[in-house]
Amino acid sequence: MASQSMNAAAERFASQGIGSIFLYTHEAHPAEHYPAHRSMRQKFQQARALRDILGVTRPILVDTLDGGCHRHYGGFPNMTWIFSRAGTIVYKADWTATDSVVRMVEYLLEVQEQRKNRERLAPFRVERLDFRDVDRAAFYDGLRRNGPQAVADFARTFPDTAQYAKKE
Amino acid sequence: MSDDLIAKYNYDVFASQNFEQWMRWDSSPKIGSDAPDFPLWTLDEQETRLSALWKQHNYLIVEFGSFT
Repeated sequence: MASQSMNAAAERFASQGIGSIFLYTHEAHPAEHYPAHRSMRQKFQQARALRDILGVTRPILVDTLDGGCHRHYGGFPNMTWIFSRAGTIVYKADWTATDSVVRMVEYLLEVQEQRKNRERLAPFRVERLDFRDVDRAAFYDGLRRNGPQAVADFARTFPDTAQYAKKE
Repeated sequence: MSDDLIAKYNYDVFASQNFEQWMRWDSSPKIGSDAPDFPLWTLDEQETRLSALWKQHNYLIVEFGSFT
């Protein structure tokens, strides 16, 4: 889900050559209010609604109806990727956690500064397990926004979370 | 773009058999490799490309997602 903290990160780094977009894919939890896409017209309408309701301040781009870009990049519901100007993949995360993204951007800016100072640098690959906050109650609030079916489907698929399905 | 693929990708019900088939992290592009390019559309329905966006910045953050 597009978070306010990712909007804030985009604004923080915009003046330092860092762009940020939200790429609208398919509805992971289709329901009464935001159903599965049946046409590009509908997909555009729901992307505009997402911008207005979730308050996304980053540019929103829309994928093809068959999710060509989303599927090729791994198909997870809320991934973040970072690309260099040359089109090199420098960061990939199968889930979006703003703290993780911010740490990477700060590191990239440090490297940029080192290169300006003509330090000799060679790239290498690293894998790391990051951790994110899990707020089940807030997640279920998001499902309720999509509609009752989204709540019921998720509770049925992950019964260990079903306690959050009933709003107190 | 086949109708069958569109229907399966845009499933009507969140259920393991519908969403898990699209989650293929292990076969996604590798760190350090050239990013594959794809057509995308702006909200005013103008076609662009992912590459056109990454070329505008030193780095481009791309968050994929939907309402949830």
